Amino acid sequence: MGVEDRDRKTSNSLKITEDGNSSEFTTKKQPSKRKLSVEKVKVPDIEDKDPDHEVNFDKDENLFGTFENENDSSDEDGDDQASNFDSGSEDEPIFGTSDGESEDLSFEDDSEDANESHSENDETKPNGVESSSKADDNKLKRFSKRFQNVTSISNKQDSGDGQFKTMDSNSKKAKSKKRKSTGGRFVKPDTESVLCGETEKEKSDESEDEQDTERGVGEVKDDDVMPNKIVLEKKKEYDEYEEDDTSDEEDIRNTVGNIPMNWYDDYPHVGYDWEGKKIIKPPKGDELDNFLKKMEDPNFWRTVKDPQTGQDVILCDADAELIQRLQNHKIPDSDFNEYGPWIEWFSSEVMKTPLRKFPDQKRSFIPSKDEARQVGRIVHAIKMGWIKPRVEKPKEPQFYMLWEGDDTAEHLRRIHNHIPAPKRNPPNHAESYNPPPEYLFDEKELKQWKNMKRTPSQRKVHFIPKKYASLREVPFYDRYVQERFMRCLDLYLCPRAIKMRLLIQPEDLVPKLPSPKDLQPFPTTLALVYKGHTNMVRCITVEPKGQYLASGSDDLTVKIWEVATGRCIRTIPAGGIVRSISWCPNTALSLLAVAADRKLLLINPEVGDSLVVKKTDALLEEAPEQDVLLPEKVKAAVQWEQVSAKGDEWKKGIRVVINHFKEIKQVTWHGRGDYFATVMPEGQSRSVVIHQVSKRRSQIPFNRAKGLVQCVLFHPIRPIFFVATQKNVRVYDLVKQEIVKKLLSNSKWISSIAIHPGGDNILVGTYDRKILWFDLDLSTKPYQTLRFHGHAVRGVAYHKRYPLFASSSDENCVIVSHGMVYNDLLQNPLIVPLKRMSYHEPVNDFSVFEVLFHPSQPWLFSSGADGTVRLYT
Amino acid sequence: MAVAQLEIRFITKQQQYAVPDTPFSVAAHISCIELNSLLNELLKESRLDGKWQSVEFDFLVLNEFLRVPLLEHLEERSIPSEGTIDVEYVERHPAPEPQDCLLHDDWVSAVQVKDKWILTGCYDNTLHLWSTKGKHSLTIPGHSGPIKSVAWVASDGQVATFVSASHDQTAMLWEWNITSNAVECVHVCRGHERGLECVGVSPNGHLMATGSWDTLLKIWSAAIHESSSEEQDETSAKRIKMEHGKSQVRTPLLTVKGHKEAVSAAIWTDVNEICTASWDHTLRLWDAELGGLKHEIVGNKSFFDADWSPLNRTVVTASADRHVRLYDPRSREGSLVKSTFTSHTQWVQSVRWSTTEENLFISASYDQQVKLWDSRSPKAPLYDLSGHEDKVLCCDWSKPELMVSGGADNTLRIFKAKNSSNK
Repeated sequence: MGVEDRDRKTSNSLKITEDGNSSEFTTKKQPSKRKLSVEKVKVPDIEDKDPDHEVNFDKDENLFGTFENENDSSDEDGDDQASNFDSGSEDEPIFGTSDGESEDLSFEDDSEDANESHSENDETKPNGVESSSKADDNKLKRFSKRFQNVTSISNKQDSGDGQFKTMDSNSKKAKSKKRKSTGGRFVKPDTESVLCGETEKEKSDESEDEQDTERGVGEVKDDDVMPNKIVLEKKKEYDEYEEDDTSDEEDIRNTVGNIPMNWYDDYPHVGYDWEGKKIIKPPKGDELDNFLKKMEDPNFWRTVKDPQTGQDVILCDADAELIQRLQNHKIPDSDFNEYGPWIEWFSSEVMKTPLRKFPDQKRSFIPSKDEARQVGRIVHAIKMGWIKPRVEKPKEPQFYMLWEGDDTAEHLRRIHNHIPAPKRNPPNHAESYNPPPEYLFDEKELKQWKNMKRTPSQRKVHFIPKKYASLREVPFYDRYVQERFMRCLDLYLCPRAIKMRLLIQPEDLVPKLPSPKDLQPFPTTLALVYKGHTNMVRCITVEPKGQYLASGSDDLTVKIWEVATGRCIRTIPAGGIVRSISWCPNTALSLLAVAADRKLLLINPEVGDSLVVKKTDALLEEAPEQDVLLPEKVKAAVQWEQVSAKGDEWKKGIRVVINHFKEIKQVTWHGRGDYFATVMPEGQSRSVVIHQVSKRRSQIPFNRAKGLVQCVLFHPIRPIFFVATQKNVRVYDLVKQEIVKKLLSNSKWISSIAIHPGGDNILVGTYDRKILWFDLDLSTKPYQTLRFHGHAVRGVAYHKRYPLFASSSDENCVIVSHGMVYNDLLQNPLIVPLKRMSYHEPVNDFSVFEVLFHPSQPWLFSSGADGTVRLYT
Repeated sequence: MAVAQLEIRFITKQQQYAVPDTPFSVAAHISCIELNSLLNELLKESRLDGKWQSVEFDFLVLNEFLRVPLLEHLEERSIPSEGTIDVEYVERHPAPEPQDCLLHDDWVSAVQVKDKWILTGCYDNTLHLWSTKGKHSLTIPGHSGPIKSVAWVASDGQVATFVSASHDQTAMLWEWNITSNAVECVHVCRGHERGLECVGVSPNGHLMATGSWDTLLKIWSAAIHESSSEEQDETSAKRIKMEHGKSQVRTPLLTVKGHKEAVSAAIWTDVNEICTASWDHTLRLWDAELGGLKHEIVGNKSFFDADWSPLNRTVVTASADRHVRLYDPRSREGSLVKSTFTSHTQWVQSVRWSTTEENLFISASYDQQVKLWDSRSPKAPLYDLSGHEDKVLCCDWSKPELMVSGGADNTLRIFKAKNSSNK
């Protein structure tokens, strides 16, 4: 279809408009808002080549125009149809004249339409002929009748689709949507000529759906076309706004647009509706009315005022819920599962997922066929000798620099790693012969510049910018030689260095540590709480077999617990604040050393093997003969006191009491279980005393005080004794009686000390929040300083079997770490912090005192200021 | 949105509830409740008279109880949802009912039921005998340490014998004359060097095994009269050395060394096979005659208790974490743990199999709960038997009708187990 056709058509239609058939049109016009697209009606006329038949409503250009504007979708349909009209074949799909189509239609049609469509089917051809031959009156009559029919029906129907209700609501929706959308695209508020002149190609844009509907519509031919058409358009009009239209979402009941509604505050209305009528504000009740409403109306709370129309709107349940959710800071969509399974797309550990959520396109994986074809073609051409690949000729430089620049390497001088001279700054505006006026000095600046004669380096510029009318007038720069000379001096005298830039990523600096998951087992959760003490539990100790636990508390008692159940087996009054407690490591003795104020009690806890208990009692019943005279110094400091076997104290379990002259802070056993050491920090030179149980003898190993002794420790295997003073740890050889080493803690105050069962590593906790790991083989400085804690470290402990150590601090936490010591001397210990557990309750700034591992299980005990001992597994 | 459909087929082993095995198409997210109503509807239809009292069923898919929507269940096990899925159904086990609460003076740490008598051991060193109706019949002092385990040896209506193991390093063999309600300590079993943790009596009642904190397992004769008299004749000089009141001292027939730490459970799996659980993370099977190690299963936590079921021949264990694990001592390779039952929040202290139903067992935990489990439902227990107000230390289900549990709240709680009607 060409331009000519279009022209012809337009002329046709124009001709028709001039016809006297306007009467017909008036009938149609009645529903003023209806869409009357003319083209369809025109078509048969064109086909029939009978101008008279054309239903010609369009004297009224205006009306025509309105149709177009209002009903985009129909327009668009119209366009297509218009394009189709010329050829008979094309018009079939639109009007459904062919049998096949008509069948489709009848299938689609609603019962109400059934009659119509059938009759139309029957009529199609004859009608066409008839209409062409018959008079207008006839047609008019029929049309008007039909039209009334249709309007009544369509009025009945709520949704726009009413008349052409099809089999499936879904498909219908789809169709209507489709129509709408296309309508939106093809809006052509144009005159007749354009409509009629649409060419064939546009038809291809149309979807099948559309055509279907059109078929439905277009089934009626000729005179029948008209009413149908009207109905269709009407339907579309409804469609547009009643269903959810994506094109324009805004509320269009009020046509004032997006303006502040308070502009209408002084008017009785709030805007204009589609008809152009004022939207009157609803009467405003006074406070009393409001109050009554509030009391009576159960929906008052969900009633809001629509600013657009001024009407009260009762929110539906869904809306109310949405608002409530928003107010509660919840996710508006109630179906959204906040607690769905977490997918690790991107975290500190997993970083493999792309930042974009969509996968790469398929084409990025597949080699391009197109390129392959092109390459293949070229290769083929090369093979066939059609193309000769270019042979690169070595280019000889035509011109070359006579003198090499500053930045090129000086090969001649055989300087390796030549560093080019730094470039000078390019000239700026101020240096121009014709600088912009703002660069020129005013008087003040000039004065300033001149004032700095003594210190020329502080000047902003080293010259006075001057303006010249032309370049020619620029005089010779008098400082030229001087400045070049200075530059040469700079280059000559200032050494140039190659700056090495480090390309180290921050994560490369972090040592590669194994994941804690691979280092199991280690304690992770609180398993048991040993409740019973009424005051802070300062110290705990475990029986060597691991069945019982002893704890000493500020409530002046020692309690023996069954580890597995948390049962308190026995409570032994100690007569003083128990600051330290230690179970004898010798399994042949059932003995507990308890430091209670100034007394050290040797207690038989009477648990475990009853034979051992009896033997211990027998052993401690009588003091052995003292064959050696004790020096006076020792006697003054320490007195052994035998508890009589019949007394109360014996019954409580206390066997021997060793009276000290100062408060005892710590007691610790030698690994063999015969010797133990006590620490009295205030004891000056007698602050450390070593006792022997079998001989009931004490000795004071040090003559001079080396500082405030904090704690002492026996080496588990070798005869080595560690003394921790306030700042250092001294290592003594007990056999040679000399100092071996002095470990420098570099901290203010040591709190506790623990030794690895291997004996080569020491853990020192300090009150200044550090844990120091000393490797005795390495040096006197800590191998690692661990700053895990935010507060003073109170206790440290190693596990006897597992590569674990733990530390407790005042910030209410216990930290378990992996501390692997390798047999290989070349390999340094591996330290990995594993788990932080804060279960104790802080009391008066104290929280956790001592930590201790179970001798065989990977379990950890901690004693706390809250009067409990806790077991972590 | 189209709802995914799954094809399922109902199968059952309970004949009275059989339905035709025609496949049904159901929504993929169908859950137990809907399946239940569907099945009840089917059964109602299948009855000719239309009379049907609805029954609660549980559904097994791939031999595990359905606890989540079906599709989820399949996805968790990465089973394709195409094809017909066999849904086996069984009547739901009825809920146990609390029956009684027996007050003690101290923690109840051991309990066993036999016939109509309940034997409990306490931390105050006493044994208690109760009738299943809750009537207290005897308090038996004798031990000097907390009782850790008790077991019935035999009872014949007139005279009953039982054994108790205590932290005082002895096990005592008691004879109880039911009619005269007089109890007598017949034998004191001495030999352990530390507190006893467990005692198990062999299926035929001739032998018993005790495990202790001295890491040893000792096997003793459990007979009251004849065997002891024989032995005494042979080596009377040795035996009667340590006479203890009326009761005689008994020494072990066999001492089995091997565990590295406390032996926490000893169960006879056969006439001459013992399964022990220990704190050293191992389960071991011993030959009771030769004292040799037959098999060892290494776990990764200390075992606190174990029980073996003759019905399904597997061992269920309680260890130092919140999981109950099921081991199959027969399997020699593959994963040792058959399934892990997780629902407790604290250490599980005791587990006991049902003696009549092969899939049911109970577990007692420090989280104050006793839970009834079906071994096919590892994620969730069938029922939580709550009531205890402190740690639960022991439980027993020797008598099918009674589940009893003793705890640190000084009570023994009795729950009445109802059997499903078909059994």
